Amino acid sequence: MKKLNAISVIDDDPITIFGIKKMLDAIGICDTIITYSNGKLAIDGIRERIAGNQAVPEVIFLDINMPIMDGWQFLEEFIAIPLEKTVHINIVTSSIDPVDRQNWEFYKSKTHHRIDFKNKPIRQKDIEEITNAA
Amino acid sequence: MLRGTKTSLNNYLIKQLPKATAFINTKFELVHVSDQWISEFEFEKRPVIGQTIYELFDNVGGDLEEVLESCLLGKGGKIEARKFTDSRNNDRWFEWTNIPWYDDKENIIGIIIQTEEVTSQVLQRLKLQKLEILLKEKSEIAKIGSWEYDVVTDELLMCPMTCGILGVAPDFRPDLESTLQFYREGYSRNTISMAVFRSLEQGLPWSEKLQLTTADGRDIWVISAGKPLYKDGVLEGLIGTFQDVTEHVRSEIKIRESEQLLRTVVDNLPLNVYIKDLESRKILANRWECEYLGVNDVSELLGKTDFDYYGPEMALIFREEDLSVLNSLVPILGKESLNVKPDGTMTTFLTSKIPLTGTDGKAYGLLGISLDISNLKKQESELRDLISVTTLQNKKLVNFAHIVSHNLRSHSANFSMLLDFLKSETDENEKRRIMEMLTMASDNLLDTLENLNEVVSISTNAGQEKKSLRLNEKIDSVTQSMRAFLGNHGAKIINRVTDDTFVKAVPAYLESILINFITNAVKYRHPDRAPQITLSTWESDHYTVLSITDNGLGIDMEKHRDKLFGMYKTFHENPEARGLGLYITKNQVEAMEGKITTSSKVGKGTTFNIYFNEKA
Repeated sequence: MKKLNAISVIDDDPITIFGIKKMLDAIGICDTIITYSNGKLAIDGIRERIAGNQAVPEVIFLDINMPIMDGWQFLEEFIAIPLEKTVHINIVTSSIDPVDRQNWEFYKSKTHHRIDFKNKPIRQKDIEEITNAA
Repeated sequence: MLRGTKTSLNNYLIKQLPKATAFINTKFELVHVSDQWISEFEFEKRPVIGQTIYELFDNVGGDLEEVLESCLLGKGGKIEARKFTDSRNNDRWFEWTNIPWYDDKENIIGIIIQTEEVTSQVLQRLKLQKLEILLKEKSEIAKIGSWEYDVVTDELLMCPMTCGILGVAPDFRPDLESTLQFYREGYSRNTISMAVFRSLEQGLPWSEKLQLTTADGRDIWVISAGKPLYKDGVLEGLIGTFQDVTEHVRSEIKIRESEQLLRTVVDNLPLNVYIKDLESRKILANRWECEYLGVNDVSELLGKTDFDYYGPEMALIFREEDLSVLNSLVPILGKESLNVKPDGTMTTFLTSKIPLTGTDGKAYGLLGISLDISNLKKQESELRDLISVTTLQNKKLVNFAHIVSHNLRSHSANFSMLLDFLKSETDENEKRRIMEMLTMASDNLLDTLENLNEVVSISTNAGQEKKSLRLNEKIDSVTQSMRAFLGNHGAKIINRVTDDTFVKAVPAYLESILINFITNAVKYRHPDRAPQITLSTWESDHYTVLSITDNGLGIDMEKHRDKLFGMYKTFHENPEARGLGLYITKNQVEAMEGKITTSSKVGKGTTFNIYFNEKA
């Protein structure tokens, strides 16, 4: 299995971060797992990595409801970054608000990055599928 | 000789007779003739003696011969006026008297003819006949009869038309009293009796429209007219006319009834109805239009234009509408228009203007019909308000449902995930970590449930009673209870609210609102300066507005306006932020039928305006 350079988990819930990290570790797909507790920290961190010539995460797990900058605001800024590589963004949320689905469709159509939508809880099986596809 | 002498003597005598006289012998030849006769029949220029009467008159008619023959047998007679056309082509009439001519032996030797001109009598008779025919025709066409009353015999002579109108036989000859009995008792009979009496006594004429019942039982209307007739200053009787006007009166009554009906309908329609002429002057207006324009009587309105009752701008709009209808002949139908009277009264009308055209196809005015729909409009706007409130409420409910679902799901997802891990975990240390996480998840869930409870309680206690509260009392008690917290951060409260300011609020909500905004102002203070919070109030419509201004971090309103009062939304990296305070505050303000507006500048500070509804 091909190893990934970097994976990001963006969520304000430490338990979710713990879980996703644990599942990623279990398959040993990636050594560099970077976690952010809101969208603002994430976009700043990713911009810093680009500036420092560090690997941009190939897979991103993104929560929607977060303080300061939510998942959608993050996406808005992220897709504006000129990146040649396709990043696989997985929206992971417990929201069943149709507005969030509409937002997903909207951003999907606006970018070359691959955006998927998953409801919590996320399982080991999901993690494997996501990382395989990347 | 003797005979001859006698003859010439006779001739001479006869010649001088003053009347037109001719003597003819048994062969009808003229023997003697008077000059008068010659000149009457214009025989001056031709010999007549010895000529037969038939040779002289070629057009005297057949019965002359008969009369003359019988005359020779001893029977004289007259011939009714014979026409003679003279040289000037005038028709003249002559009466011929023929008698037998006897000699001294009583033998009939001829006929003596005397003629007398009766032209003027004949012409008069013809004229009279003509007049009679004319009168009869006239009376039949106009249904006007005539009558004569002879005061001496007390007898009424009525023409056939009068008899027909009264429904009596043509030979009906009543006295005056019984004639009056035909008239309907009451006004009609009184009026005719008075009129006849005054005419007889004072010589006054009359003409009255009256009701009577005919001999054959029909109720009719008549015009009876009459005047006294005098001969040599002595009253002879009365003459007059008698006209059946039942049809006229009936159609008149019908027209009046229709007019009355139309008027009643027009007046009682719940519509403003009017008719304007080409100059937009009102020529008809119904009760509603009068009431709307504030006039007591329609006469005040007639001849006036909209310029007399509206401001110039409004009136000009109406005039232009009128002109467009009058010129194009295209009606305006059901147009919604807002009429503003000079006193500011606003009425929404559904207006129609329909051109009225004459037989020449040109407009002579317009018919205006306006339906006052102000109430409907008001109800419509109330309904729209209600719908928007309901929509908002619904949106809030759905939003709340999503929040609840999201929060519960995120916790249950964590439980499920952690339990999955726990099942397969062998490492004891890792197991302990997972257990810690589970405890954390459980605590979070309890927290969430408590928060949701708090929100729900505001919504369910929406009916909690509002009281008029002295605002400063509450501000003082809240700042007093927060003294330690404010003091720790060096916060300064500037209270500009006057002591006589009252707000209508639920006491517990007002406290909670004050605590929340003051706490927020301190929590999100600017790192470079001590927090300063200014409170003031002002009035806006039926709201008392409490303004709370801080000098803190400020909020990027462009980015966060939509989410400012959302649940679990925080905008600052502050570990204390729960994202619940503003959400609850907003719910409390809305539960009291108020609202909150916000203005903010990043780095400068924020102002929250809390609107307390003083009416509801």
